[in-house]
Amino acid sequence: MAEETRVGVYVCHCGQNIAGTVDCKAVSKYAKTLPKVVIARDHKYICSDQGQERIKKDIKKLNLNRVVVAACSPRMHELTFRNVLEETGLNPYLFEMVNIREQCSWVHIGQNEKATEKAKELVRMAVARSQLLAPLEIKEVNALRSVLVIGGGVGGIQAALDLAEQGFKVFLVEKEPTIGGRMAQLDKTFPTMDCSICILAPKMVEAAKHSNITLLTNSEVQDVSGIVGTFHIKVLKKPRFVDEKKCVGCGVCATKCPVKRPNEFDMGLGTRKAIYVPFPQSVPLVYNIEKEHCLYFTQGVCRVCEKFCEANALNFDQKEEAIELDVGAIIVAVGFDPYDPSPLKEYGYGVYKNVITSLEFERLINASGPTEGKLKRLSDGQEPHRIAFIQCVGSRDEKTGHTYCSNICCMAAIKQAVLIKEKHPECEIYIFYDDIRAFGKGFEEFYRRARESWINFVKGIPSETVEDPETKNLTIRAVDLILGKMIELEADLVILSIGLVPPKGLEDLTRILSIPRGPEGFLLEAHPKLRPVDAPTMGVFLAGACQGPKDIPASVAQAKAAASSAAALLSKGKIRVESSVAFVNEDYCIGCRICESLCEYDAIEIKESSTGKPAALVSEVACTGCGVCASACPTKALTLRHFTDQQLLAQVRAAFFEKEGTCVDRPHEAVAESLNEKIPQARSMKDSGED
Amino acid sequence: MEVKEAKSKIDPKFKFEVARVAGGESIRYCFQCGKCEATCPIRRFEDSYRPAQIIRATLLGLKDMVLDSDMLWLCATCYSCTERCPQGVRFTDIIRAIRNLATEKGKVHPFFKSQSGAIAKFGRIFEDESFLNEMRRELGLPSISVTASRSEIAQILRNTKIETLVKSEEEK
Repeated sequence: MAEETRVGVYVCHCGQNIAGTVDCKAVSKYAKTLPKVVIARDHKYICSDQGQERIKKDIKKLNLNRVVVAACSPRMHELTFRNVLEETGLNPYLFEMVNIREQCSWVHIGQNEKATEKAKELVRMAVARSQLLAPLEIKEVNALRSVLVIGGGVGGIQAALDLAEQGFKVFLVEKEPTIGGRMAQLDKTFPTMDCSICILAPKMVEAAKHSNITLLTNSEVQDVSGIVGTFHIKVLKKPRFVDEKKCVGCGVCATKCPVKRPNEFDMGLGTRKAIYVPFPQSVPLVYNIEKEHCLYFTQGVCRVCEKFCEANALNFDQKEEAIELDVGAIIVAVGFDPYDPSPLKEYGYGVYKNVITSLEFERLINASGPTEGKLKRLSDGQEPHRIAFIQCVGSRDEKTGHTYCSNICCMAAIKQAVLIKEKHPECEIYIFYDDIRAFGKGFEEFYRRARESWINFVKGIPSETVEDPETKNLTIRAVDLILGKMIELEADLVILSIGLVPPKGLEDLTRILSIPRGPEGFLLEAHPKLRPVDAPTMGVFLAGACQGPKDIPASVAQAKAAASSAAALLSKGKIRVESSVAFVNEDYCIGCRICESLCEYDAIEIKESSTGKPAALVSEVACTGCGVCASACPTKALTLRHFTDQQLLAQVRAAFFEKEGTCVDRPHEAVAESLNEKIPQARSMKDSGED
Repeated sequence: MEVKEAKSKIDPKFKFEVARVAGGESIRYCFQCGKCEATCPIRRFEDSYRPAQIIRATLLGLKDMVLDSDMLWLCATCYSCTERCPQGVRFTDIIRAIRNLATEKGKVHPFFKSQSGAIAKFGRIFEDESFLNEMRRELGLPSISVTASRSEIAQILRNTKIETLVKSEEEK
């Protein structure tokens, strides 16, 4: 570094957020005394246009070549200030951000003096580190104009349509034989009471017919490699044994098929044949043979379907198909599974026939369901006259591990209750609830409408249901908490408002995609507020209930946001990627594979190096710069650019040795040694006070 | 098939009886926020007076509990709760409707009975008119007397059957 190091320090007040606790003027005055600091200023809002202009002017006038901003979290504004440097011709990696808001003023409210001292120390550390920062090469990768959408529910369909309309090629992968997802199973939607399939089916058809959308049903994503801009995808398409191009969906095959099977689409309540479409509006409307139960596949006989098919569409030799795709971005929209309430034995689901789940009820009240929409009890086919709903089953429940609110059950129960009242005004309905959460647009009004229909809301979650062995009626024990009275309600049908849980197979998918899950098991967004539809892996976006329980409008909104984010990312044809990535010194690498096994993002592979021995190879675009490899490497062959040992140790030294604000560029071993020597004498964190 | 509160039976149709009486139909909108109770001036002095509970018990169908309750008769009909209810529940009208139902069944609080008895007897709720006319004299107003209209008031009470409903035990 021949050039003289010239540091500019800017201390932000952030209105009163920082200045209310930290004496920003004192911090800036102190910064001026630090080595290599040419200018230090404090500013009310350094992120404002005015603040940014101030930095630009100083860079030009004072020839600054390092900039330190002490303000909020780098997650908020690091990019803002990197851009400031870039606009003045400096490399953006010569910028260092100090967080004196979240990590100082906000956590030390009322301790102004100590907080100011801490802010000074943090700035001193940053100034020391900034002197060792090195310019990094700005990297760009090519972006394909194509997107993979995983999951063909309403979210996946909407994302696919939005991207296809913008000219992107979309591959919509769905593991079931039809798209439509959970929404297709619902009878009506709250709070508008639209017929669910009536508003969904046109979108399903549109997706199937769109020239930019390739529909891959009966298919699952097996492998994802590559990085943003160019992901390589392997999809496995299971055979239907029916030719998609020939089948006209007439259904004669199904009427002739002798094998009856429980229909998963009707939650197992009704039956279908071994050759089937899940529901009449299936897209594509192509029949599908369930190989495990087809007489031909199990016993080598039958093939009746083939005899009656006028289109000659049956093909018993159809094989699994491995499909390979290249896409620029991925949208994950794999939805949710309904909670199975069997473990909550007190409610008797699976034991008492007249205890059903809310999703089963949707099929029972649906015109194309097993009872053709007639409300019947499962035990005797009788119409129920008193129905009880139990809320929060498998939600807000530490015992079952589903600690979160499932978001839709309050409104779903109210909708179902209103539906019953519309068809059977005489039917008594009791909803046992803990809280009614009616937060969405039109929800509160809908809740009022339910009360208007004389639906009885009982505050208090029942302890148990007990079946009368003769009548199969159920006695519910609960307490009306408002009256403080014990209630025994004998109902002839109990509907459990079950929660939403992460879908089966989500764990495998997260492994394939190298994306994390949150503590409740749903997919984790990159930032809960500022990047709510992005996975932490660049180029992967999230839509719908796989990110957390969501109703239809929220799922569609998130799908549209994900589609728009993917389009924004790919539309320029080039994508700038983070330069702060791992770097291997092949001379030191012993090929131990520790880094390879630790890398969450599959960014490291052990390959033969230029000298012929095995060494780690980092995919600089797949690397997210997490630093795990660099900290684990036993020979220090791996370095994380922008977070080198020298840079970090300079920062650590400055934390402990006030006088050594300056740092010479010396081998990191020596710095580590000197640290080991001096730390015991240095004042420890304990001595510095409560904080 | 039944609904029970501990050992007593619940009448799910009771709420409809209340709703049928003029002013009673708004009861269905209550979502138990408690603002009526917080507003109620009686509630301020009497902890056991719980307007929101009366509504809840009515909606659930605890008919006897509601109709037998002394609390029913504590409402001063000031309309503060009705004024402030966020859901447009007209509690004052509802409690009047419930009182009417109770009265129909002969369930009237003894205090109301004695008041009605006084009206039947004296044409007003108190017997002595002299202090009233004293006040009127001080204000320069002419004396009045309801003695003349007593028979008419008694007629009204008879025709509206209030007389039989409120007759206290010893009179029967």
